[in-house]
Amino acid sequence: MTPRAASVAVRDSDVIAGVRPLTAFAPASVDECGEVMAQAARERFRLGFVGGGTALGLGARPDALDAVVRTERLARILEYAPADMVIVAEAGVTLAALQREVAQHGQRLAIDPPWPERATIGGLIATGGFGPLRQRYGGIRDLIIGVTLVRADGEIARGGGKVVKNVAGFDLPKVLCGSLGTLGLIAAAAFRLHPRPEVTTTVVVHERTAEAVIALLAAARAAQLEPAAAVALRTGARFELGVRFEGFDRGVAHQVARFGELVAASGAATDLAGGDAFWRRHDAIRAAAPLRIRVAALPTALPQVAALVAQLGDFAWYASLGVGFVCGAGDAGAIPMARAALVAAGGSLVIEAAAGSAPGWGRGSIDPWGPPPAGFAIMQQLKQRFDPERRMNPGRFVGGL
Amino acid sequence: MDAEPAAPLAPELIARFAAIVGERNCISRPDQLRTYECDALTSFRAQPGLVVLPATRAEVVEVVRLAYREGLPIVPRGSGTGLSGGAMPVPGCLVLGLSRMKRIIEIDFANQWMRVEPGVINLEISRRLAPDGYYYAPDPSSQQVCTIGGNVAENSGGAHCLKYGFTTNHVLGATVVLPDGELVELGGPVADPPGYDLRGALVGSEGTLGVVVEVVLRILRRPEATRTFFATFPSTDEAGHAVSLIIAAGIVPAAIEMMDRLAIVAIKAATGVDWPDVGAALLMDVDGPIAEVEHTAAEANRLALAAGALEIRVPRDDAERDTMWRGRKSAFAAVGRISPSYVVQDGVIPRSEIAQVLRAIEALATASGLRIANVFHAGDGNLHPLVLYDAAVPGQEALAEHTAGEILKLCVRSGGSITGEHGVGADKAIYMNDMFSDADLATMNLVRCAFDPEVRMNPGKVFPTPRLCGDRPGVYVAHATERDGVAGRG
Repeated sequence: MTPRAASVAVRDSDVIAGVRPLTAFAPASVDECGEVMAQAARERFRLGFVGGGTALGLGARPDALDAVVRTERLARILEYAPADMVIVAEAGVTLAALQREVAQHGQRLAIDPPWPERATIGGLIATGGFGPLRQRYGGIRDLIIGVTLVRADGEIARGGGKVVKNVAGFDLPKVLCGSLGTLGLIAAAAFRLHPRPEVTTTVVVHERTAEAVIALLAAARAAQLEPAAAVALRTGARFELGVRFEGFDRGVAHQVARFGELVAASGAATDLAGGDAFWRRHDAIRAAAPLRIRVAALPTALPQVAALVAQLGDFAWYASLGVGFVCGAGDAGAIPMARAALVAAGGSLVIEAAAGSAPGWGRGSIDPWGPPPAGFAIMQQLKQRFDPERRMNPGRFVGGL
Repeated sequence: MDAEPAAPLAPELIARFAAIVGERNCISRPDQLRTYECDALTSFRAQPGLVVLPATRAEVVEVVRLAYREGLPIVPRGSGTGLSGGAMPVPGCLVLGLSRMKRIIEIDFANQWMRVEPGVINLEISRRLAPDGYYYAPDPSSQQVCTIGGNVAENSGGAHCLKYGFTTNHVLGATVVLPDGELVELGGPVADPPGYDLRGALVGSEGTLGVVVEVVLRILRRPEATRTFFATFPSTDEAGHAVSLIIAAGIVPAAIEMMDRLAIVAIKAATGVDWPDVGAALLMDVDGPIAEVEHTAAEANRLALAAGALEIRVPRDDAERDTMWRGRKSAFAAVGRISPSYVVQDGVIPRSEIAQVLRAIEALATASGLRIANVFHAGDGNLHPLVLYDAAVPGQEALAEHTAGEILKLCVRSGGSITGEHGVGADKAIYMNDMFSDADLATMNLVRCAFDPEVRMNPGKVFPTPRLCGDRPGVYVAHATERDGVAGRG
């Protein structure tokens, strides 16, 4: 047996969607990633990839894993030019570490997924991680501007670049967003940054129906307000709506006041002191382990979606995006019907995390991804071209990819 | 750079295409084909074998199927405004013109999306949405004539993408006819369809992955207020410094455009705007809720003055604002007033390098003896140097092309890109190696091969050398020993 570069002992946190690998690697540079991947190719290892371990429950159980490649030692910020508002970092850099670096210059990477202290940028790209700010700034696909991919055969390939505007060549960074480690190892990435807002204020409105949530946000849009985020949390039969405004002091104060007028006109009251508690409750729902599902539908379908997931648990809805999280120990028997209705309306239901502890939610009983999506034949081709031996997280992604 | 003509297509094959789209929409007479020999990059030409202009997606499917069976390469085309030769034909190919497919199919204001056909003109979309207070954000300077299908192919930008992003950030989905005639939906109005982000691969693929027959676009509520100002500076150094100060203050303007002395002279000559003769000017928009905008506009004004602005003009009304922006957007054509010919370049540099790179461009102008006008999207470092020349002077066209190429190399050396919004097309394929390694290009080619394994769609574009896909790779098969449990894996 050849000596293995950067080989380390397997630990419990290397278990991916229930499968424990036989060995692990922890390369310390992009070049070492190339060596590890080339060696894995020679040995025909089936591989998984581990960043901060915040989304290892996502996806179906891999067919098999001979090894995992950890990105924990890929923890360097490679380039940061504050004047250009661009940062290039290795995949294992945590979101919090990156944010601390750029905060010194009044900047931020405008995504706010759960567990920033653990979640790595590589993992966030692979899983398409996001939070409420996605309403204003888009998802990670809209913020990534370059990527370094180590292919299944060990070749190191770059796509995009490190300038915000660039249309040279195919958009590899976007292809890799949400690809769940099935096309290769994301070793480094470049992002565009945004200024940190001077002021952030959240207005909470309690005890609203789904219809009232939609009406309030429509009124805000009609009034040309521009919230950075709008999230509805279900509490009992009703919703609590949190609307966050960001920007310069005067602008935010003005928007908050005008939104308050709209709320009052709808017959409700605003709660300006409840923002922190609201976001804590939101975090508890979206970060709930081990059970969480993600639903997507048109924003105006909130009443129907709320009814469909009523049996499943607590519900947080990104009201302008049409994406929501449900968590709890609800009745898994309701999943197939909810999924069928959502898919029929052009949406989806994905089981994001599930442990064996919950009866009926376990792997094998329900496909976490649902039926193969439109364009699946091309997805199969893409997978085959990038990973002809089917060694990268085999079976974990949509339709057994 | 005219390509060798191919043998004409057989009349019976032409008749079969005509049977699909109708005689009137099937163009095969050599004199009529001439219109389609090039796009807005007129220095690259090749004659197609046939041009068809389908009116429905069913016709597109039939046309593509027939072309596939006959082994005919396909070059999709919108309005032909592209500046990189992306719609330049391959000799003898089928040009698939989509300009007749211009229906706006569906608008959903409540959920902020709309579905359109590819031949709809970019500006027409915002005009249609305006009465309801909505608009479509990406605004390439050619927006009065360019099609949304072409925008999708090129991932078009525009002045206002600094704040709002590019076409790729506003396309939610697309219906695509694949090279073999298969129809597929990629993405759609609902967020987060499971699986790979194929619409992300499609946007900006320059017509190499398939033919877009419908697009789902994100539409935005018009901002409450927009404040525009025009600031003049002694030179591009001070103007560049102003841009840096404004960005560093945490302001994200909707647009910041810079013009140098020569560009200002040309725009004045062409449009009659009463701009002064100065070394540089900035045209800037901030937009958003009114109180926010009042603050950012005042702050940006203050910073421009601090950076050395000579004068700041604020338009009195919308008409004057439109005149200012028309001046900027007509800059390329305006340069035609001061020079018989010019090469339009499109490159990107890190914003902080603006002053330095502009000086290097000036040195190239001096060395070549050619004039270079600069008009560009300063907020994102997207330069558009215009290299002026006179084709009547022997050797000057080649010198201009060479100088434009040197500018691209400057961009790459500064850490930027060979194209920010015009695309690679036929024009810049040879520069791809300056920016990407063989492994990078081979990896991009894997994406193309997933869609178009026989390389039928817009061959010869984007990649510097022809690349084939090889056989479709097989599925992994376990060793016999492994299968039998004799040998393990690990």
